[in-house]
Amino acid sequence: MLRMSLPRRVRLLAAATAAGLLALLATGTASAIQPGGITDEARLMNELFWIVTIAGLIVFALVAAALVYAIIRYRRKGDELPPQFHGGGKIEVAMVGVPILIVIGLFTISMITLVQIDDKADDDALTIDVTGFQFSWQFAYNLNDLGTNTDPNAEGTIAVIGTPANDPILYMPVDEPVEFLLKSNDVIHSFYVVDFLYKLDLIPGRVNSFTVTARETGDFRAQCAELCGTNHALMRFTVRVVERDEFDAWVADEAARQLGEGTLVSSSGTQGD
Amino acid sequence: MATVAVPQLSGYHRPAVLDWITTVDHKKLGILYLYFTLFFFAVGGILALLVRTQLAVADNSFVGNDAYNQIFTMHASAMLFLFIIPVWAGFGNYLVPLQIGAADMAFPRINALSFWMLPPAGILMFAGFIVDGGAADGGWTAYSPLAQQTGVGMDMWIIAVIVLGMSSTIGAANFLVTMFRMRAPGMTMFRMPIFCWTMLVTALLQLLATPVLAAALVMLFIDRNYGGQFFDPNGGGNVVLWQNVFWFYSHPAVYIMILPGMGIVSEILPVFSRKPLFGYKAFVFATIGIGGLGFSVWAHHMFTTGSVLLPFFGFMTFMIGVPTGVKIFNWLGTLWGGSISFPTPMLFAIGFVSMFLIGGINGTYSAAVPVDFALHDTYFVVAHIHYVLFGGSVFAVFGGLYYWFPKIWGRKLNERLGKLHFALMFVGFNVAFFPMHMLGLDGMPRRIAVYADSAGWEALNMLSTGGAFLIAVSMIPFLIAVVMAFMRPKDQPDDPWEANTLEWATTSPPPHYNFDSLPPVRSERPLFDARHGDEAH
Ligand code: HEM
Ligand SMILES: [Cu+2]
Ligand SMILES: [Cu+2]
Repeated sequence: MLRMSLPRRVRLLAAATAAGLLALLATGTASAIQPGGITDEARLMNELFWIVTIAGLIVFALVAAALVYAIIRYRRKGDELPPQFHGGGKIEVAMVGVPILIVIGLFTISMITLVQIDDKADDDALTIDVTGFQFSWQFAYNLNDLGTNTDPNAEGTIAVIGTPANDPILYMPVDEPVEFLLKSNDVIHSFYVVDFLYKLDLIPGRVNSFTVTARETGDFRAQCAELCGTNHALMRFTVRVVERDEFDAWVADEAARQLGEGTLVSSSGTQGD
Repeated sequence: MATVAVPQLSGYHRPAVLDWITTVDHKKLGILYLYFTLFFFAVGGILALLVRTQLAVADNSFVGNDAYNQIFTMHASAMLFLFIIPVWAGFGNYLVPLQIGAADMAFPRINALSFWMLPPAGILMFAGFIVDGGAADGGWTAYSPLAQQTGVGMDMWIIAVIVLGMSSTIGAANFLVTMFRMRAPGMTMFRMPIFCWTMLVTALLQLLATPVLAAALVMLFIDRNYGGQFFDPNGGGNVVLWQNVFWFYSHPAVYIMILPGMGIVSEILPVFSRKPLFGYKAFVFATIGIGGLGFSVWAHHMFTTGSVLLPFFGFMTFMIGVPTGVKIFNWLGTLWGGSISFPTPMLFAIGFVSMFLIGGINGTYSAAVPVDFALHDTYFVVAHIHYVLFGGSVFAVFGGLYYWFPKIWGRKLNERLGKLHFALMFVGFNVAFFPMHMLGLDGMPRRIAVYADSAGWEALNMLSTGGAFLIAVSMIPFLIAVVMAFMRPKDQPDDPWEANTLEWATTSPPPHYNFDSLPPVRSERPLFDARHGDEAH
């Protein structure tokens, strides 16, 4: 324990180290946990996350150090009254000024990120129709709206429909923009893919949309993030990001299965598993 | 300053129970509020332990999915509507008249009415558990259309919340009139104790915001029962409208839940630092600023709906960080250069400052709109809520209880048990809620009854559950201290802490009508002036 006789500088150092250690600990755990994101948009958001985190940790370390220091340094030692200081003057200007500078800075940076991720996709991006329902998902693909490899004359839609016991898989190609159209006919749900660092609500009576470009292939965990009733916790799904030819093969397979042989004229021809 | 007890009218003795039921004395009503709200703190706490037990391990089936939704909804409803909002009315009732040197509230009978609306509402809300379909289960936010689907428990919840809202609206009017009209001679607005100021701004928020909630709830009730279509898109209604009106009340309500706690902390810190509050006026203006800005940030709860003007609400939300930052300076500046002692109330006050600091910082994550897209509706937000409402408000409640216990009940709570209580609660709190940040970053949504083993969330959840039980254990020394105190005679002097404000200028507990005589009020610290004369000015 720190004793009252410690010289002032040592106490200051102790306070600063304690606060610094705490801040480091928080950074360590945050970086171990925080997913970096797999889309262009997510990576931008992740940068913003780190800016906010660093700003927050600096504020925390400074205030915590001041608090710990004050508590140690100004322990009651005798009965005499300390100077009765009411505040005022320059220090009160700083009290308002410093927070204003911090929040304006953070606000500006967040708006820049917001504008960057809000860039609308061009019309020929692959579109996936997402419908949330109590309690699973439907992912529908219109065969004439499949992005870079679309046959404009193809007709029909294929759909993946899940159940609470059987999570659906959402297929999407890597390295190209994909637009999601979100709809619901019962209650509000929220489409949340952890590694997109993004969620958007599915709201009865309106269609929400967003666009991302994934940069990593693999399976990613996702689930509904808005309370929607009894089995809300079971509205899970997997996002499977695959190479373009694998995606085309999957579409061809599904089209054959759901719409009958020969409905889809697949130009890529590669057969996946 | 000793007071001569006013002799009671003799001849007719009312039974004690009747006396409590019919009382219009602000102190007795204040005590009733405190008993009532602490009871519901316990109820909400037990529900929280059920939540934490269910989440301790993956794929748990301790309570079913349906029951889980009822339990967490009622946890939040009890904690917010039946504990934290009315607990400030309890402190306020007891303290505001005393602190401004008045004999009672402006409208004592209306005051009794506000209190007696609470028990029926509480019973009605919880009776949901015994009706068909169970208690309300749409979350305390009752989002439409989900809130249209559930059973009659939801209707009971709606009526209960309307009644609670009426209680706090008329209570707010009462507080405002009391503070505007009944201050002691010499007590200008800027000499009013800081706790009163926070109650004043809280009352204003309640008066302006609560009727909006009542209107929203009536619309929801009509939608549910009489085929209204306010929130139903199939009939031309709008789903998001509910969220707009709900949060128009409920964001200001967040400040209703925390401002008086800030006031309590700002009473305690100066007393045990033996210095005035640093920047009294800045604190008052910051409080007013928070109240005003509080009305312009509601949609920050709706960033992911896709129908919000993001830059505006992001900006306003950041701006509310400014008055909040000012307060952190107020508190640090009060400690700085002081002569600080650490009895239990002071520990809770310092605990408040440090936990509220974290609650402010993790709140900025959600103000940064693109970061909120990731964190909204995850456990990160659950962590934020509790750093503010538990690490903040609840620590202030206990700080206030330890601080004013000698005044209210004439006895002191045992210091050792108090310190043990604080230590256990502080550690338990952080163990329970800090890991939730990590769970949220890792994508665990809030309000889920189960999670899969494969998600890898079990270890942190188990840790968090352990912390929750440690919080429960921390209540044991508190309860022992209360029982021990009540077993002893009343022995507290007028002013056991060397405090600053008028409630300490009368006996502990104060007599009917509070004061025989008042010291002159020449600053915001009349008792300090009486003790030290002008030596320190
Ligand atoms: C023993 C202490 C407490 C524990 C262990 C605890 C635990 C929890 C947990 C785990 C949740 C998340 C439930 C879910 O999303 O599935 C929750 C939600 C919540 N808690 Fe607490 N809590 C405690 C005390 C409090 C207090 C004192 C307050 C307020 C004064 C409070 C207010 C809330 C609110 C507003 C929610 C959000 C509920 C919702 O999503 O509708 N809690 N609590
Ligand atoms: Cu859901
Ligand atoms: Cu809010």
